[in-house]
Amino acid sequence: MTTQEPDRFDRVDWDEISRSRWFDPSINGVGVLATAIPLLLVALYDWLVLDERTPTLDPVGLGWDVGTVDYLFLFTLSLFAFYIVLPLFQHPRRTRYYWREFRRNRPAVVSLGWLGVVFVGGILGPFLVSAPEQSILTGYQPPVFLSIDESYVSTCVGDIVGGRCQGTWRHPLGTTAGGKDVFAGIVHGMTISMQIGFITTTIVASIGIAVGTVSAYAGGWVDEVLMRFVDVVLSFPTLLMFLLVLYIYGAGLGMFILVFSAFAWGGTARYVRSKSLSIAEAEFIKANRISGASTYRVVRRHVAPNAASSIITQLTLLIPGFLLAEAQLAFLGLGDSAIPSWGQLISAGRSDLSFAPWIVLAPGMVLFLTILAFNFLGDALLDALNPEAEAENA
Amino acid sequence: MTDEPVLSVRDLEKHYPIRKGIFNRQVGVARAVDGISFDIGPGETLGLVGESGCGKSTAASSIVRLEEPTAGEVVFNGNGRGGASRDPGGSHPNDVTRFSDAELKEFRRGVQMIFQDPSSSFDPRMTVGGAVAEPLAVHGMSDRRRRRAIVEDLLERVGLSAEDYDRYPHEFSGGQKQRIALARALVLNPDLIIADEPVSALDVSIQAEILSLVDDLQAEFGLSLLFISHDMSVIRRISDRVAVMYLGEIVEVGPTDGVFADPRHPYTEALLSSIPTPDPRSSLGGIELTGTVPSPTDPPSGCRFHTRCHRVIQPDGIDVDQSDWRGILNFRDRVADGRIDVESVRENAAGAAGTPTDEDIGDRLRAEFDIADEINDPDVESALQEAIDRLLAGDEEGAATLLSERFTTPCAATAPERTVHAEGHESSCLRHRSEHAVAADHADD
Repeated sequence: MTTQEPDRFDRVDWDEISRSRWFDPSINGVGVLATAIPLLLVALYDWLVLDERTPTLDPVGLGWDVGTVDYLFLFTLSLFAFYIVLPLFQHPRRTRYYWREFRRNRPAVVSLGWLGVVFVGGILGPFLVSAPEQSILTGYQPPVFLSIDESYVSTCVGDIVGGRCQGTWRHPLGTTAGGKDVFAGIVHGMTISMQIGFITTTIVASIGIAVGTVSAYAGGWVDEVLMRFVDVVLSFPTLLMFLLVLYIYGAGLGMFILVFSAFAWGGTARYVRSKSLSIAEAEFIKANRISGASTYRVVRRHVAPNAASSIITQLTLLIPGFLLAEAQLAFLGLGDSAIPSWGQLISAGRSDLSFAPWIVLAPGMVLFLTILAFNFLGDALLDALNPEAEAENA
Repeated sequence: MTDEPVLSVRDLEKHYPIRKGIFNRQVGVARAVDGISFDIGPGETLGLVGESGCGKSTAASSIVRLEEPTAGEVVFNGNGRGGASRDPGGSHPNDVTRFSDAELKEFRRGVQMIFQDPSSSFDPRMTVGGAVAEPLAVHGMSDRRRRRAIVEDLLERVGLSAEDYDRYPHEFSGGQKQRIALARALVLNPDLIIADEPVSALDVSIQAEILSLVDDLQAEFGLSLLFISHDMSVIRRISDRVAVMYLGEIVEVGPTDGVFADPRHPYTEALLSSIPTPDPRSSLGGIELTGTVPSPTDPPSGCRFHTRCHRVIQPDGIDVDQSDWRGILNFRDRVADGRIDVESVRENAAGAAGTPTDEDIGDRLRAEFDIADEINDPDVESALQEAIDRLLAGDEEGAATLLSERFTTPCAATAPERTVHAEGHESSCLRHRSEHAVAADHADD
């Protein structure tokens, strides 16, 4: 640009603009790339340079060995930050509107608070609370303010009053048979739950939205093939598949997330397809096509965002299913025993329910509240983000 | 170069295949647009008028290639593409239907559209500023601040304020949204805007505001306009020329004043008579179109309007009252379709007075089709009476055969040619064939 151009629509030199076409990423895309690229580099370094036993962050003096699930988790966190949280700040008016709508549902506000606690606890907790460690001598410590018959504990950390071991603040929620601190277990379990929630959601959302929109837009035999494939996915016995994988390869958390999310996107895809079809009929889509926008752009900028409110609701309601599935598998002894998930904690305490119920009840309550919170949140989001309701309230 | 039209449509067709059955076999076509031609000059407004379902909107979306036209040619000379001449092979280098993807994208800068429904023409999740600016981004303007400056200026030009940039569509009224739609259509500085019923969803007072805004903008930026509407009064208000469309064809085209003062096609006449006039003694009073509305999948032979035309031609040898003639033809078509229920007519007549005679029922049938009790041509009268008698005797087929043998109109047999009445005023009606020689004295201009 040589001179100060008058900014009027009829004085735009389109020949000049059409020639100078270059990549024009949004701030959100830049943000995701800015976090994804270092992450990828660290992962490559971890994989190619460091030997298997050296913790990833050993060179900078930290003992944290970053695993595959952690990389995925960090990546999905950056997606969440730049494509969900950042837009809320970019469009303050819309955010205020959503918040007004959302606030009307009180249980949902409480749920959001609880999920915020779980989220922050899951992210920061592991850095503040050290991982629960095995210590046979201090097994079956009762939670603070409670007590247990002295005969069950080998060493009582607190006082023994009248033949009963009293709980202490050192183990506010008591310990398991192996002496693992239940509170620390719950905090670390938050990380696992958040990982399950975020990664499965991302995988389900990306496959579901991709298949749904392609199916809606391509039509014809592509649509037919994809939708029949969705039928297959929906009718696939995921649990049996997981057990099969478990017996052949062994199954860690990563495998659990992969298998369960790989068979959970069917409903989302179908939903996105029907939503896209109805949105594609709207005149603003025609108006966009007439302005020369490519199909990709129309889908990316208009169809997907308009379907998003319903997709977000649907995904919110999917997460509890995954959390429960993990807990159930852990309870049956089919989970990844190396991770401190809530399910593992519950299964660790199931034989001691008669005299040390806190081992099951504490993580059980947390799991229950979390699932309840997701369900409340999903309902409230459906009301707050529904574009039709938005139009009616206008 | 200046007298070259901005848009020149030739024999444009859009047929929708009708598929049925398990193998998706094509069983027919719906001829939504069946060979229309017109030109739009620079700065000119062409009003395209016709009733719902006649193919106006399909024509618009075929012209801009939102839908691929089946056949025909759309030559667009805007965007600085003017002055091109035909290739030796007969195809035009500016033919939109042959544009490559890159040319098509450039063409999008030259032609924009405004849609009917203001409530659905904006993405509810995007600020109106973002929506108006989007075409700029699509065409590669990556400077956000520049986009914003252009759009704010434009919003003010269409009568809104720059602060409205950050508001959402649901915060605006229908009329305001149409202003924003106008801004979005203008933002790429097109040569031609196609407005598809842009004011039919608005109140009359708002309509007037939008129409005068369109007028002003058109004058200021030298826009050409294809204005589609079913409302003759709106068309009269805005158009320089009018094209009247019926069932996929253009039946009359001419300068607005000429067409409104002296409509040459019966369909135009009927449309014009539907405008309420303040003058109670106005001669054009409520022509009611009778007969069935044909479907574009099976358009009538000959002149497509003949099934409803109030001026349908009587063949040689028949000279009866025109409204009787229309009634007889309607009666003929209904009998041929087997859609006359003699029993129910009989029952209705019975309710009135005792056992009805055949004569009573005949009178009822005649009344239903607006046929006089006694037609002044004895031949016609006897044939009609004979048909009614056969019908009452239960011989529906006999009645149908008699009617279709006896009563035919040349309109069904011959497709009308274009007749030129005055400079730029043409219509397609068979009546003009005979009138041609005689009509020279007609106050044509």
